[in-house]
Amino acid sequence: MKRNKPLALVAGAALLTLAACGGGSSDDGGSNGGGKEREFGDQTGGTKDAERQGPAADVEGATAGGTITVYLPGDPGPDSLDPTGGWSVTGNSIQQALTSRSLTQYVRDNETGDPVLVPDLATDLGTPNDDFTEWTFTIRDDATWEDGQPVTADEVAFGICRSLDSDAFPSGPGTEYSKTYFEGAADYKGPYTGKDPKCEKWSGISVDGQDITIKMAKPFPDMDYWGAFMAMGPAPLGNASKPPNYGNKPLSNGPYKVDSYKPNEELVLVKNDQWAADSDPGRHQYADEFVFKFNQDQAKVDEIMLSDNSDSQTAISTGLGSDKYNDANGQLGDRLVQQTSQCVSTLTPDYTKITDINVRKALAYAYPYEDVWIAGGEVPGVTRIPANSVMPPGMAGKKEFQVDGEQITYDPEKAKALLEEAGVEMPYPITMVYYEVDPLAVATQEQITKGFEASGFKVKAIPVQDSPYNIWLDPDNKVNKTLNLRGVNWCSDWPAGSTMIPPLLKTGAVYNTAQFSESSVDDEMDNIATMPLEDQAGAWGDLDEKIMTEYFPIIPTAFRNDLFVFGSKVGNPTGDGSIGAPNYKDVYVMQ
Amino acid sequence: MSADTAGPETLGSLSTEPEQQDPNSQQAKEISGKSPLRIALGRLARDKIAVICAVVVLFFVLCAVFAGPICHLFGVSLETPLASERVDGLNQGLPKPSMGPPNGPFTWDHPMGVAPRTGEDNLAYWLYGCRVSLTIATTATIFASLVGVVVGLLAGFLGGAVDKVLSFFIDLFLTIPFLLAALTIAPIINDRYNLSDNYSTIQKTALIMVLSIFGWMGTARLIRGEVITLREREFVQAARVMGMPTGRILFKELLPNLAAPIIISISLMLPTFVALEAGLAFLGIGVTDGVSWGQMILKGTNLTFFREYPQYLWQPLLGIVALVLSLNLLGDAVRDALDPKTRR
Repeated sequence: MKRNKPLALVAGAALLTLAACGGGSSDDGGSNGGGKEREFGDQTGGTKDAERQGPAADVEGATAGGTITVYLPGDPGPDSLDPTGGWSVTGNSIQQALTSRSLTQYVRDNETGDPVLVPDLATDLGTPNDDFTEWTFTIRDDATWEDGQPVTADEVAFGICRSLDSDAFPSGPGTEYSKTYFEGAADYKGPYTGKDPKCEKWSGISVDGQDITIKMAKPFPDMDYWGAFMAMGPAPLGNASKPPNYGNKPLSNGPYKVDSYKPNEELVLVKNDQWAADSDPGRHQYADEFVFKFNQDQAKVDEIMLSDNSDSQTAISTGLGSDKYNDANGQLGDRLVQQTSQCVSTLTPDYTKITDINVRKALAYAYPYEDVWIAGGEVPGVTRIPANSVMPPGMAGKKEFQVDGEQITYDPEKAKALLEEAGVEMPYPITMVYYEVDPLAVATQEQITKGFEASGFKVKAIPVQDSPYNIWLDPDNKVNKTLNLRGVNWCSDWPAGSTMIPPLLKTGAVYNTAQFSESSVDDEMDNIATMPLEDQAGAWGDLDEKIMTEYFPIIPTAFRNDLFVFGSKVGNPTGDGSIGAPNYKDVYVMQ
Repeated sequence: MSADTAGPETLGSLSTEPEQQDPNSQQAKEISGKSPLRIALGRLARDKIAVICAVVVLFFVLCAVFAGPICHLFGVSLETPLASERVDGLNQGLPKPSMGPPNGPFTWDHPMGVAPRTGEDNLAYWLYGCRVSLTIATTATIFASLVGVVVGLLAGFLGGAVDKVLSFFIDLFLTIPFLLAALTIAPIINDRYNLSDNYSTIQKTALIMVLSIFGWMGTARLIRGEVITLREREFVQAARVMGMPTGRILFKELLPNLAAPIIISISLMLPTFVALEAGLAFLGIGVTDGVSWGQMILKGTNLTFFREYPQYLWQPLLGIVALVLSLNLLGDAVRDALDPKTRR
């Protein structure tokens, strides 16, 4: 899934391993006392527990009541709350934890910190047939909507059916998974676009009592993970859930419901008194209210969080400015949570315009990783490390190879040599966009331009005042047509290579901003899905290496870590490893 | 912006007859044969505050005009360095000790230090920021006062329907909220011109246009008022009777008599525009490429940087304050000097 934050586009990396206390110089006033050393960790895939039943185990010492304010610095948040359309870290982490249930869900294992896949609306993790072409989920009968009506199997089936409507939800996750794997999905336009409001024309799903059976067009062993997306959850039948209006106030079935929602500003969630703890194996309902404040100013939020005043004691921030890292690390201790997530930042040279692999490699050598990244307000070695391929560290099958034998670093001479080898005219023209409203984004663009121009490129940087994703993903955009270098920050949807490689590199995939298209690679991706389950992880790793060494279609600039700050009265400060967000399910306000 | 840059109440009204003076007095002999402007200049030169302010303004003008050579002299430039060469990413992005304050001693390589996070040279950015500020403010002032004077002259002298129509437009523009208009125009300019190679020039031109479009009304009203009183005076009546064409009456008879209010309104418009330009850049509209005092302040307002490295914020801030303050005081002094009723 994509990262919302436009700033994240500028992600870079550095070779430094951090010794946090050391800082850079010893005479900086000693504001950074006994912080602990933080290193970049791996996020492993976690485990499954099909037997888990509600209610979820109590968090030790948890008390009820209070309001938790969540600041999201520089993050505009989701454009719509429609569960079917949600495919961003911010939106999904909030809604899946608090308002919108689906077939399965993740909980955090408190001992290892790893995510555990457990049942949610289904009573178990689903039953596949032998070759994973048919999955059956039994929907529990005690889950309810916020209006007290029971969540029925028909509603779940309808919600799943909605995910096939790629015109109504053009950037929803269904475009990637439902469309690819569900039987007959490719020809079905969806309940809205296909004028089929009851979803009768799609035969891929059948409901029998509480059982939902989904037929697959090809083997889909990861259906239980896909079931953890809120897109695989229920929607009220008929017009009640018609997009786009439903996205303003979706009907909740989790422990909280939407009280008010102003896109890009604020989302207020209040307790849903119809939610029964017994029906839910993963969620809690400790706080009375959650207030999410989007698009906050990073510096301001940092001050609030570090001041430990009454406002910030019950607040959470989803980011920390690099200028505050030393202070925060010294002062906050466990309240500064470093959450690794399976994410990668990339630059994507347009495969149709930059056709020579040497030019693409030259770009990788021309990118001043550490500089970009300091200018963009990251902490080298803590929030960013250099990346070698698309699959993030910790993912099963990940191979520790290097495209050129060693880690690619900023090396203008090598870039020039590669350009000469490619026999292209120098300076080679590069056209890219940057978000001019944010001084940090401007500063990082200046670093990129500097690095590229020192390496034999000529950069035309186009300032935009819209999220760059809106430019990159819109094929008709006049600016987009001129670009030959784009970028995506991508996080795994579940711990498997199938959620990293195909969404970024398959022909025609929505977030394939490189326009990469090689039929042999596409075939191989299709092949892997048919392999025995135990071989798949390794096969994705091999494919990852093959794509990078043979084509180098995408330049991984960094693997990412996030820093979250928790107020002193927020209990159980932890991160959610499955998605790279604060662990909203288990937090509470200390009374 | 809808506030008048200069109102009639701050000006010496020209309609009042000058006080009678004994033609044989010492004072009268001194000023005989001098034009009113000459007298005003003499008064200005004796005003200590005015002289100091003029020197300060001159300093800024020199900085703006010779930004390039001065940068060259100090060996600094606007060029973006690689951040890691100058700042320490593990120490909050603050400059390395060898780059001068806050972590190291003063160095001539970077007399005003370098910016945290990016390592850009503060002196170069300050000088070119001064140039941007003054260029935009001066150009906008010229346009705004030209439009204001012409509209004021026409409305005041022609009266009748022309006056009604022009006054309507003055009122209309006064009702449009300036900030809202500027905020709306910024994305439009971006959307329309962001593919152009001259984007930053277009952006500045647009800013000048916005400032002038919303800055001429005060002058227009002021001039119109003055013209209405002047046009009934004998010398104008005489010119009319002699059959002088309207244009000639306007520009040869009326305009010289309006020199004082025009100079005053210009001298007060200039600082307003300097402050507005910085304010808009701070908000992220107007100049967005970083070379602007407003943008420097925006970057410097980060509280960590202010605590560890206050100079970074003070530099552009002092620039704006000193320039605006001296322009304002100078404007006041000019007003005093031009007012025939001022006695010291």
